[in-house]
Parts: sequence; C-alpha cells; structure tokens
Amino acid sequence: MPGESKNGMQCTEFDALLTEALDGTLEGANLERFQAHARVCSVCGPLFAEVDAGRRLLMSLEEAEPPAHLVHNILAATSGLDTARMRVPGTALVQPSWIDQLRAWISPVFQPVLGVLRQPRFAMSFGMAFFSLSMALNLAGVKLADLKQVDLHPSALVRGYHMTSGKVVKYYENIRFVYQIESKVRDIKRATTPAEPAPDKDRRRKDNGNTSERPEPRQERNYSQGENQPILASLPDAPLVVPVTTARRFV
Amino acid sequence: MEDAQVVAALIRRCIAGDAAAWEEIVQRYHRRIYNICYRFSGSGDDAQDLTQDVFLRMYKTLNSYDLERGAFMTWVTTITRNLLVDHFRKSKHDRMTDSLDTPVSEHEDAMPLSSQIQDKALPPDARVQSRETSETVHQALQKLSPELREAVILRDLQDMDYKDIANVLKVPEGTVKSRINRGRAELARLLQRTYRQVM
Repeated sequence: MPGESKNGMQCTEFDALLTEALDGTLEGANLERFQAHARVCSVCGPLFAEVDAGRRLLMSLEEAEPPAHLVHNILAATSGLDTARMRVPGTALVQPSWIDQLRAWISPVFQPVLGVLRQPRFAMSFGMAFFSLSMALNLAGVKLADLKQVDLHPSALVRGYHMTSGKVVKYYENIRFVYQIESKVRDIKRATTPAEPAPDKDRRRKDNGNTSERPEPRQERNYSQGENQPILASLPDAPLVVPVTTARRFV
Repeated sequence: MEDAQVVAALIRRCIAGDAAAWEEIVQRYHRRIYNICYRFSGSGDDAQDLTQDVFLRMYKTLNSYDLERGAFMTWVTTITRNLLVDHFRKSKHDRMTDSLDTPVSEHEDAMPLSSQIQDKALPPDARVQSRETSETVHQALQKLSPELREAVILRDLQDMDYKDIANVLKVPEGTVKSRINRGRAELARLLQRTYRQVM
C-alpha cells in the first residue's frame, strides 16, 4: 500500500527514488533500503519490474529514419531557396526580402478591397472583362509577349516617336507621289487621245428630210418652250365641254 | 571548439544572414526533431509536416533566441513540443484520448488499453521479430496519454536530462520523474497484456 513503511522506507519514498535507481545513480544505504523494500512490498516490487521493463522496451526502439527529401523541403519552406543555392555563403537568409516587406505592408491595406472583389459576382464581371480585353488584343494583333521586349527608357521612347513620325511622313509622301503620277498619266492620255468629232453637217443634208430612220420624237415635248421657262398649266385648244345635267322644270 | 560554442557561432552567422549556417542547423537537428514528432504523432507523414513547421517557426523566431537563457537544443525541443501540443489539440485524437490540459487521473495506470491494440498484435507463430517488436512498442506508445508519452520520449528516446525536460514541459522535476515512471510502467503493462493475449 502506498505510504506503508517497510524496511525503513515508505512507498512514496520508493517511488521518488525509482528514477535514480534505474539510472544507476542511487548508492549506499539508500540503494540497500530501496532494494529491500522492493523485495518485500507487494506493490512496489512489481512496479519496479514494470518500470524497468518499460524503460528497456523504449530504449530498444531504433531511431526512425527521416525521409531523404526532408532537408530539401525544410530549406525550400523556410528560405525558399534550393539546397544548391543555400550552399552559397553570404546569401541573405533570415532577413525577409524587400518584396516580402512591401507585401506585408500593403496586405492590410488592400485586403478588405480584395475581399470584396473576390466575391463571385465581381469575379464573374472581371472574368468577362478580361476575356473581352484579351479577345480585342488578339484581334488587334497585340501579343503580350512582345510587350516584354518593349524598351521603356526615355531615350528609347524619343527614338520610337521619331521613327514612327518619320514612317508616317514617308507614307504620306509616297501616297502624294503616286497621285501625282496618276494625274500626269491621265493628262497624257487625254492629250494623246483624238478629240470626239463634232456633229456632221453633211449628214444632215443627206437626210433630205427623211426622218424615217430617226427615232420618234417624244410627242409630249414642248419644243417652243425655252429651257428656263416654267411650264404653265393650260387648256387644250378646243373648248371644254362640260356636260351639265339640269333638271327640267315643268311648270 | 565545444558543441555549445559551435552552435552559438552557427546561430550568430545565421542571424547575420549566412544561408550555409542555416542549412547546417537544419542538417544538425532535423533527424532529432523528426524522431520526436514521429514517436509522438505515430505517423511518418505527420512527423514530416510537423518537422517542417518546427523549422519554419525556428526560422522566424531565431532572432528571439537568447544564448544565455538555455541550451539551443532545449529551445528547439520546446518549440517542437509546443507544436505537437497544437497538433494534438487540432487532430482527431482530441476526442479519442485525453487532452493535454486534462489533469492525469488516478486511474490512468489502470487503463484497459490492451484491447485497443489487439488487431495490431503480432502473428501467433513462434518468435517475434525485432522489427515487429519495435512496431508494437511504437503503437503502444501512441496509447499512452500525451503527458506520459512526451515525458518518456524526451527521456528514453531523446536522452534529455530531467532538468531540461522540466524546462520544456514547464513542470517541476518531480512531476517529470513521476510521469516518466508511470509512462514506462503503463507501456510495459500494455505490452504484457498484448503478448499474454497472443500467446
């Protein structure tokens, strides 16, 4: 029973000395008292045997072999660098990069906005807008890969401006030259082509008033009317007979 | 140069931004941390994740380590133990076994756990192979309460002294010794019952 004194040692004291006894650090009179108590106590004796057995079982466990890629994974997870790169001394490791610092600084500011924008309705709208924009760019022949090669230095921008304006001027000059050439060719053609013959007077005489081969003139045409005279409404030559029916009066 | 001085120099170099020093720290401690995690969690995958988490926390808080306050190994083990406690609380074992916050009951030693490991028992043929014994002990270890388990792991598997264990677990040395003894005894009892049932 716990607390029972046997061979000058109580079970609580035995319990307290158990670890020292198993570690081999218990010596002298204490060791003798301990061993004597273990021999006679029905509780502490078996307890000592069990603790000793458990200790041996635990110490028999071999060290587990960690996975081969564990170190690589740890280095990648912590420093974000590959093992080979980690071997280069002098690389900044513990201090986060300025991009991380900037991200950490910006994140609290934009996090609420991003939270709202991540809602499905906004996400759908952004998706459609992106799709439309990418379609328009594709149709316009703009490739994003080309934009990477664009030089945005001020000198390059000025040079680009001059080259573009030069191309425009050159294109305009070329167009003007082409039009001038076309105009000259038209003039030459007009000069070399014989003039259209005037109406033949002799042919009129040969007709002798024979109008059978001529096209029938339009009857309604008013020959006496000048071109600038207005056409007035007129009555025909014969007096207009208006049939009037009168009711006879029989007196 | 002694081991403590070597470690101190490594830490100083690491804080100064030496990547090679950090890699050396990882090489030096990953095996030990992995084993603590593996023996406590019982799963190789969990142990791998937990080991990475330990080093991630070390990496972030290395600046806060004070060389004069204690051994680096104790500091590392404390981080490991705290993460294991967090992991234990989050895992499903929360419902299946005792919580770390629950005081150890006086009937703990008499837990009939042998029935829980019957299906994992050894084949009923002749001698038990050494590897199978290790596996049985490893599985029986998982049946111990977390307080007893962590105490025996740190003492019998990691060979830490009682004072360091007391610092890591933040309990008096007497409690550490008591937990170690109870843990050993319970493990022996568990395995004894198992073998008795098999034989």
